[in-house]
Amino acid sequence: MNMNNLLTLDPAAMTGNDIVGIVVNLYDPLIELDPQQLTNMRPALATSWEVNDAGNLLTFHLREGVKFHSGNPVTADDVVWSMRRIIHLNLAQASVWKSYGFTKKNVDEMVRAPSPNTVEIQLPKPNDPKLVIYSLAALGSVVALDSKTVQAHEVNGDWGNRWLTTNEAGSGPFRLDSWQAKDVLNMSRNPQYWRGEPRLSRVVFRHFQESQTLRLMIEKGDLDIANNMAVSDVTALSHDPAMVVDQVKKGTLYYVAMSMKEPHFANPKVREAVRYLIDYQGIGKALMTGYGIVHQRPIQVGMPATLPDPGYKLDIPRARALLAEAGYPDGFDTTLRVLADQPFLNIAIAVQSTLMQAGIRAKIVTGTGNQIYGAMRERKFAMLVGRGGSGVEPHPHSSLRSLVYNPDNSDEARLTNFQGWRTGFYDKQLNTDIDQALLERDPEKQKQDYFAIQERYDALIPALVPVSQMVDSIVVRTDVKNYLPHPSATTFLRDVYKVDAADAKPAGGKGL
Amino acid sequence: MTTQAHTTQTRTPQTRTWHSGIPAGRIGKRLVQVAVTLFGLLLLTFFIGRVMPVDPVLAIVGPDADHSTYQQVYHQLGFDKPLWTQFGIYLSGLAHGDLGNALLTGKPVTQDILRVFPATMELATLAILLGAGVGIPLGVLAAAKRNSIADYGVRIISLAGYSTPIFWVGMMGLLVFYAWLGWVGGAGRLDFSLDGQVTRHSGFMLVDALIAGNGEVFRNALNHLILPASLLGFHSLAYISRMTRSFMLAQLSQEFIITARVKGLSEWDVLWNHAFRNILVQLLTVVALAYGSLLEGAVLIETVFSWPGFGSYLTSSLMLGDMNAVMGCVLVVGMIFVVLNLLSDLLYQVFDPRTKV
Repeated sequence: MNMNNLLTLDPAAMTGNDIVGIVVNLYDPLIELDPQQLTNMRPALATSWEVNDAGNLLTFHLREGVKFHSGNPVTADDVVWSMRRIIHLNLAQASVWKSYGFTKKNVDEMVRAPSPNTVEIQLPKPNDPKLVIYSLAALGSVVALDSKTVQAHEVNGDWGNRWLTTNEAGSGPFRLDSWQAKDVLNMSRNPQYWRGEPRLSRVVFRHFQESQTLRLMIEKGDLDIANNMAVSDVTALSHDPAMVVDQVKKGTLYYVAMSMKEPHFANPKVREAVRYLIDYQGIGKALMTGYGIVHQRPIQVGMPATLPDPGYKLDIPRARALLAEAGYPDGFDTTLRVLADQPFLNIAIAVQSTLMQAGIRAKIVTGTGNQIYGAMRERKFAMLVGRGGSGVEPHPHSSLRSLVYNPDNSDEARLTNFQGWRTGFYDKQLNTDIDQALLERDPEKQKQDYFAIQERYDALIPALVPVSQMVDSIVVRTDVKNYLPHPSATTFLRDVYKVDAADAKPAGGKGL
Repeated sequence: MTTQAHTTQTRTPQTRTWHSGIPAGRIGKRLVQVAVTLFGLLLLTFFIGRVMPVDPVLAIVGPDADHSTYQQVYHQLGFDKPLWTQFGIYLSGLAHGDLGNALLTGKPVTQDILRVFPATMELATLAILLGAGVGIPLGVLAAAKRNSIADYGVRIISLAGYSTPIFWVGMMGLLVFYAWLGWVGGAGRLDFSLDGQVTRHSGFMLVDALIAGNGEVFRNALNHLILPASLLGFHSLAYISRMTRSFMLAQLSQEFIITARVKGLSEWDVLWNHAFRNILVQLLTVVALAYGSLLEGAVLIETVFSWPGFGSYLTSSLMLGDMNAVMGCVLVVGMIFVVLNLLSDLLYQVFDPRTKV
């Protein structure tokens, strides 16, 4: 794996998928999602749960006799403390919970433990309880932390954040042995694990920057699982009978974004022209193999509420006509920001060349993730090729919240976590529709509502044009069994094992 | 970074006053110079770091964080204070030996550097031993047999070592010696199964394995070390042999060599006892500089071999805008060159008969 984005092991502060995959193996969540059927919820620490009739109170009944790695029992108080901690710390994982209405002021009251084995979560504002349950299962942030151990390491009211950056206090199937940034992370099995002892004695995650090196090592059998490889290497390995390539569909989308703060793109005719200046199919075929599949809707592929693609194609004459109508018969100059990584850069180059054919001269500006998205957060960009949209929960709202929703379009609102706000795209009706669909309790009606939202979004000609849905390619050697890469990155390693005829490697560990 | 180091440092021999030693007063002056240089270096790095369009806050909170989270971390990191205040805080920490915490690892920078530096030093030391051990004799040989087949051979090797991209050579090395022949270990410092078997004392895998008396880890570590070290050694060999050759040629055209030959001294005697002795001092500088730039971290080789060293630590810190870590690294690189300069000063005294007078 590539550990560039692995900055902390604190479940409340983690950012990005890589770390989620580690944290879920050190800690236990209340519930989890079945990797093969995402809408299927499975018990974890909670054996059962129920939602009240009003849909605003979730009650979880905890398993008894579960112990943390320290030997302390897992209690409802620990779970409650861990959840409150996310809001009080207010780091990366707080965003979603804050959007559900939890605040530092109300969280202590809303999340509580009426008995040692019961956790109650009261929703501060109306929401679809199913979405909240999905969030609990899929985000990987609400896991049970050993509150006694963490509190013992608290410094200056930091809720143990400093300590948890490099340590763990979980009850999960594996314990953390060591973590050296950008080098190696070692885990060993927890023999007292409540589901039974994991089959692998050790798991080793190692950082590899260079995809070719990764390829040589997995070919040679020194590695069992590799992710984050260049597509050319994945393609080459897919012909090797000793390996299987898993294509995991992720909820995030590749998109071309425009800023409506720019006069050009405030004009819907120009945005519509851009819509016809992207060669979706060409990009999908030539550039996105192994990275994504063509998709033109804000809600991820494969959900019951996702409408089929509208079928947009590159259509230069039509785009030219639209530009002329908008008053730009000769096009205009603009900039196109993009990460200096693949496939982003290739998409940008492709988009640049098709824009050019209608006279839009876009200068490509490359940078690192935080330069590119930083400019977007400041609403200081013209065009941008990026990837986003939570899509972690198997619920249409997950993507809509992240990509479309924009309750307040003023600069002062600084709703930087909403890409709708970042692009300056605002439609009052759409916000109301999104709010209402979320609260609709009749599943069939809710689905229809989401259809209507997608239709409206499309008709408004959004500032963010979905191009492709992300796919993650993971190469796994065939002697590794039961490895099920999870679309929401919560890949469980507890049931993974290796059939090793020669059994030459003493540790039976596994590298990533 | 490598080329920059070379150009600034190769000036040293020219500015040297050949007939003076190092009087006591000069050492004090030297220390002041060093302090001023390091301070200037820090000041420059700090301000360049702060104007860089990289946002460390965003790296911590992630691209999807909301504004209040961003503001909170921005404040915690002290970015809302004036630049000069921030620099002052950094300096006062430095005075107490505290380089701050790294964002990348959440640990004190000092601790990080103590971890990554030995990995690089192990690699660099073996590489320079190979590079100088082979490069110097080759250079002498090439000079002695000027325009012979041997000379052309050495020049071709040197050209190849100098001009082939080390990244590519590293990849090919792995492909041939690891994947095809299976002679050496793959990327990383140890095999997966041996990771964590030996407790870290010095951070040098070889030394730690010896302390633990674990022969398997020692052999494995050496096995992983040998390929990247040879490739880096090959790279510095190219530079060292080329310099040796030209120094030797300069010496061999001098009158005293002709005199020595006329006196009937053996060619061996002429080469090694007359000519080579005279270039020893210059060569020391060359080797020290080559070593210095290896210690800065051979980023490309570290990348190909997933070597958790100083170079990859520095680059990833830079990418993150992790200024505490970057400044810590800058200090270390500064110190390396200060120490190497001082050492070569001292060695001049030992080896150059003229400075003894």
